[in-house]
Amino acid sequence: MRGERREVGIPPYRGSGHDARRTRSPIMRPMAMTGRQPPAIELCSVVKDYGRTRALAGIELRVEPGRIFGFLGPNGAGKTTTIRILLDLIRPTAGTARVLGFDCQRQSIEVRRRVGYVPGDLRMYESMRAGEFLDFIDSFRPARRDPAFRAALLERLALDPARRIRVLSKGNRQKLGLIQALMHRPELLVLDEPTSGLDPLVQEEVSRLLEEAVADGRSVFLSSHALSEVERVCQSVAIIRQGEIAAVEDVARLKARSMHVVEVTFGGPPPPRLFDLPGVRVVRVDGNTVHVQAHDGIDALVKAIATQRVLDLRTEQPSLEDIFLAYYTETPAAPALLYEERSAHG
Amino acid sequence: MASVFTKSLRDQKWQIVGFGIALAVIGALDVFIWPAYRDALQNLQVPPALQAFLGSDLSIATGPGFLSSEFFSWTPILLIVYAVMQGTGAIAGEEGSGTLDLLLSQPVARRDVLVQKVAATCLGSALMVTVGAAGFFVSVPFVDINVTLRAITMAMANMLPITLLFFALSLWLGSTAPSRGVAAGGAIGVVTAAYFVNTLANGVRSLDSLKYASPFYYYGAGLPLVRGISWPHVVLLLGVAATFVMLALRAFERRDVATGGGDIDVLGALRLRRGARLHGG
Repeated sequence: MRGERREVGIPPYRGSGHDARRTRSPIMRPMAMTGRQPPAIELCSVVKDYGRTRALAGIELRVEPGRIFGFLGPNGAGKTTTIRILLDLIRPTAGTARVLGFDCQRQSIEVRRRVGYVPGDLRMYESMRAGEFLDFIDSFRPARRDPAFRAALLERLALDPARRIRVLSKGNRQKLGLIQALMHRPELLVLDEPTSGLDPLVQEEVSRLLEEAVADGRSVFLSSHALSEVERVCQSVAIIRQGEIAAVEDVARLKARSMHVVEVTFGGPPPPRLFDLPGVRVVRVDGNTVHVQAHDGIDALVKAIATQRVLDLRTEQPSLEDIFLAYYTETPAAPALLYEERSAHG
Repeated sequence: MASVFTKSLRDQKWQIVGFGIALAVIGALDVFIWPAYRDALQNLQVPPALQAFLGSDLSIATGPGFLSSEFFSWTPILLIVYAVMQGTGAIAGEEGSGTLDLLLSQPVARRDVLVQKVAATCLGSALMVTVGAAGFFVSVPFVDINVTLRAITMAMANMLPITLLFFALSLWLGSTAPSRGVAAGGAIGVVTAAYFVNTLANGVRSLDSLKYASPFYYYGAGLPLVRGISWPHVVLLLGVAATFVMLALRAFERRDVATGGGDIDVLGALRLRRGARLHGG
């Protein structure tokens, strides 16, 4: 455990130039050096305007290290804009962004040294072979080169490094994008829609890789417009809508306290008022079969059902989609998120 | 950590070979056909205006004059085509194809990326000129053309400053214009204008002072064959080139990087404008 921690921690600075001076200055020193582990990501009032269009309207977000954090929102909500600010590809109009305690603008090289990034619109040098491309990316972090780990990743994702990028399928390109981000064992992985184009088996493998990274003390920040993807791999999730963080939730807690959908078939007509329980709502009755929603846990409902003769019982864990639908039905702006979400799927 | 430099140089290897061989073949052919021309030109009196229009103060009836008008007056255009390709490709090209995102997400400063790409093109154009010079080295010793290999080397090297100037201009346009196409169009426009301003100014006395505005005047075609390199002109051309590199660096370091498909946005905007016009009409 001790050895792992050391590897996870911020390695000594090896570069040169103005960044070195900045890192040494006491004001700019990342919090990690003062003992406490800094948040993986910390955004304070981040605003981004494109001309008169406001893309981000004051993002506040804190992502604790050592977890898989989902960043969920419809297309055009500001996910990619936020991520590209973290990598200093674009500059915020106002506010500050920090990654692993480093300022994303003033210490961007320090940030990028520690971050593995898969762009949403992944484009690589078409004429290069996959292996050449990985060599090229590796050359920027010579101290972190790990050929054995890279070979293992290529094997696990079944990608042939001798193939030219030009001839790779969408899925294989996505794999290459993930490998180049993972191979230097970054402290933080930033993945913009990482599994689009991957078949389910590979998605599983990718999920495992992300879980391993987290088990190793690293952090993952994963954007998606698909709730199912976030639900499958993430521990926490932030929802971004129209350039603002609409909610930050723990996925497990969210699921636990959220609605259950129960379908029960009784041996005879159910007694009236059986389901008159707090937080329980009958959706539909088909003869002896009743469809029920339980909003505050399932315990009271199960006990009520157990008083009758039961022929069949089915219960479904709701998807995050259902959960957020339930969450937002009270707030007027909320349905827009979900409608956009649906239309984004096509 | 010179991987951007190495990759950039490797990416242009076929351009270096292709343009270099083209220069070498043209040069060697010019030298080999010189004896036939010399006999025909021996008694020719070229009218002064035409002489001036040929872009050289040298007599076309001499070896250096012939090479100046047949080779050095226009072959920089080949090098400049390469320079514009490299200059607009360095930033605007990578941005348009979307690869700039992944490159700049690596721990490398934008300044380093730009400087390494500039260095690669400096070396690339020098290699190209070297390959081109080989054409003279295999022909001049066998032909009585009254030109030394030293003079040829000077004149070939003298093509580099103007090449780098237009490279730097394209680089700057590429780091400010919305797309590579716009940048390349702008650069080609400037090159064409500069070339014709220089030739016209040579031929038309009233336009004479205009020539000082054209980089091609400072380049001087085949003059280095007889006079050696004009160092003030070289310094001037390289100074302007360095200024454009600085401007490019400033623009590139300050601005946002667009996601791939910047060209598509321009097309989209044009389509919108056309739509509006159709609607209005």
